[in-house]
Amino acid sequence: MAAEPLLETRAVSKRFGGVQAVSEVSLKLAPGELRCIIGPNGAGKSTLFKLLLGSIAPDEGTIHFQGRDVTRLQPHERAHLGIGVKFQNLAVYNALTVRHNLLLPLRHQFGSREVEDEIARLLARLNLVGTEDRLVGSLAHGQKQWLAIGMALAMRPKLLLLDEPTAGMGTEESSATGALIQAVTAEGVGAIVVEHDMAFVRELKAPVTVLHYGRVFAEGSFAAIEAHEEVRRIYLGAARSERPRRLRNRQP
Amino acid sequence: MLPLARLIDRALGPVNGPLETGRSPPFWLIFLGVVAVLVIAPSFLSRYELLNFSNFLTNIFLALGLCLIWGYAGILSLGQSAFLGLGGYAYGVVGINLIEAHGNTWLALLAGLGFPVLVAALLGWIMFYARLKGVYVAILMLVVTLLIETFLNQTAGQGWSIGLAHLGGNNGLGRFSGVIREPPSLTLGFSADAMMIFGGKTRAFYYLIVGLGVVSYLGLRALVNSRLGHVLVAIREDPDRTETLGYDVRRLQLGVFCLSALLASLSGILYVSWGNFITPNVFGVYYNILPVIWVAVAGRKSLTATVLGAVFLVWLSQKLAIQGDIAFVVLGFILLGGMMLLPEGVITGIGERIGRLFDRLGIGAATRGGRHGG
Repeated sequence: MAAEPLLETRAVSKRFGGVQAVSEVSLKLAPGELRCIIGPNGAGKSTLFKLLLGSIAPDEGTIHFQGRDVTRLQPHERAHLGIGVKFQNLAVYNALTVRHNLLLPLRHQFGSREVEDEIARLLARLNLVGTEDRLVGSLAHGQKQWLAIGMALAMRPKLLLLDEPTAGMGTEESSATGALIQAVTAEGVGAIVVEHDMAFVRELKAPVTVLHYGRVFAEGSFAAIEAHEEVRRIYLGAARSERPRRLRNRQP
Repeated sequence: MLPLARLIDRALGPVNGPLETGRSPPFWLIFLGVVAVLVIAPSFLSRYELLNFSNFLTNIFLALGLCLIWGYAGILSLGQSAFLGLGGYAYGVVGINLIEAHGNTWLALLAGLGFPVLVAALLGWIMFYARLKGVYVAILMLVVTLLIETFLNQTAGQGWSIGLAHLGGNNGLGRFSGVIREPPSLTLGFSADAMMIFGGKTRAFYYLIVGLGVVSYLGLRALVNSRLGHVLVAIREDPDRTETLGYDVRRLQLGVFCLSALLASLSGILYVSWGNFITPNVFGVYYNILPVIWVAVAGRKSLTATVLGAVFLVWLSQKLAIQGDIAFVVLGFILLGGMMLLPEGVITGIGERIGRLFDRLGIGAATRGGRHGG
């Protein structure tokens, strides 16, 4: 018997006014599986991401998590079921200390004594030891990104949704982030990475789903997708126009 | 650290935290000093000054509520005074009807606190569960309050009565002829011969306000520095993110919005108890923008700044009003200048500078940006 998928979308569609943002997308993700979702700007990546985390509901189709229909559940309800999210922007709380940022997700599941051990464990994993009493506003950009990932991990998720996890990071930081994501999935956590930085996708060595005009355009290993003539045409054509933005992101 | 200092530190734990300015020992000494001055004030203020001062102080609950939802939870309401008005009217209407039969105003007090919270719960449910954000909440609240003002202004006809209480159009609730009854002052007690009447001219009223003010201030400080307070700040900074961390943002916004309505209604009840009248003006633009200005100019992210700002700016407005309309232009420029120089709030800004000075002199962590001290 095949193992139950961790996440499954069945023909989900979402329309905004006259724009069909996501159209009949069906995906399956096994526990511990890492999947990248790529596509040119406007391909529906962000909408699909929001459908998965629950901030918008699909017009048609259903979303199942561990066999349970979660289509109508709110983000906070999905969070408690085990869906951790890291947004593209720097979604950390600058007015709070690193410690208090981590406490927000940790307090759901840990008592006051265990929580200290958990904070120490996360700080070590995120290379943030010694920053716990600093206000997050004073951290470096890469550190904030890591903290944001750490807050998603603090929910002890079974599925991690990551939207451009390396936005604004240098090459070394990107590699370290890739290693962290791979380490987490090796522990059995499924992960979906929405990304348009092809270099990072290549580094993750994960299966890739290509979206184009809201539909699944192609699926396969990175090598297969890279060799896919049609994907090269739609993606590289768009990637050229995105280059200035990526260069801007690279700046510290 | 001295044992005494440690004891004080522990006692202040719940109300001290990184989310409020003023948490150093000197700050708390000054706080005690201010409370002491407030307690003995009736002995050196004239009757008129005390009456006037009591009136200023009624506003602090409204301001604290706005500070809580705007500064901490990120919800700007341009109709906060509507809850003050609803509280005042509900208290007044029930009070007029029941004061003679009951001899006290317990039910009126309950109505005055409960009705605005009910309205806030309904409005909040509509706004937050529809995920209205930012400016839309602010505008919707302004529309609501102006609708109430328009409605009440046309209630001059004799038909517009609730029991013995005549709504009175733009004259509002109050005694304008022998027939129309005025809302009573708070009359509280547990037996008929031991009733306390909190009229505006009484010392009892003054002490009631000071007591409620201190309790509200400390209570809210404890709230914003609690676990819930951190969640509120998280919602202010990024509601979407906070949802994915497992918090039902809509419910928390609704809850804090109702709490702010409760505080505003307290201002309304005290205002009616003070002057035995209330008019639809409190639902107008002027009365709804004023608290926003107090909180913004003083420093919306600080309860301390809000209290000081509300009292000082009301006092200043009154002083300047004696000079005629030009004074409001002067006031406007003072506010504008303050906000341009110190956009996070004048009092917060000054407080931070004092805190930094203390830090340099080694008197303890007093600055907002400093290390977490509790």
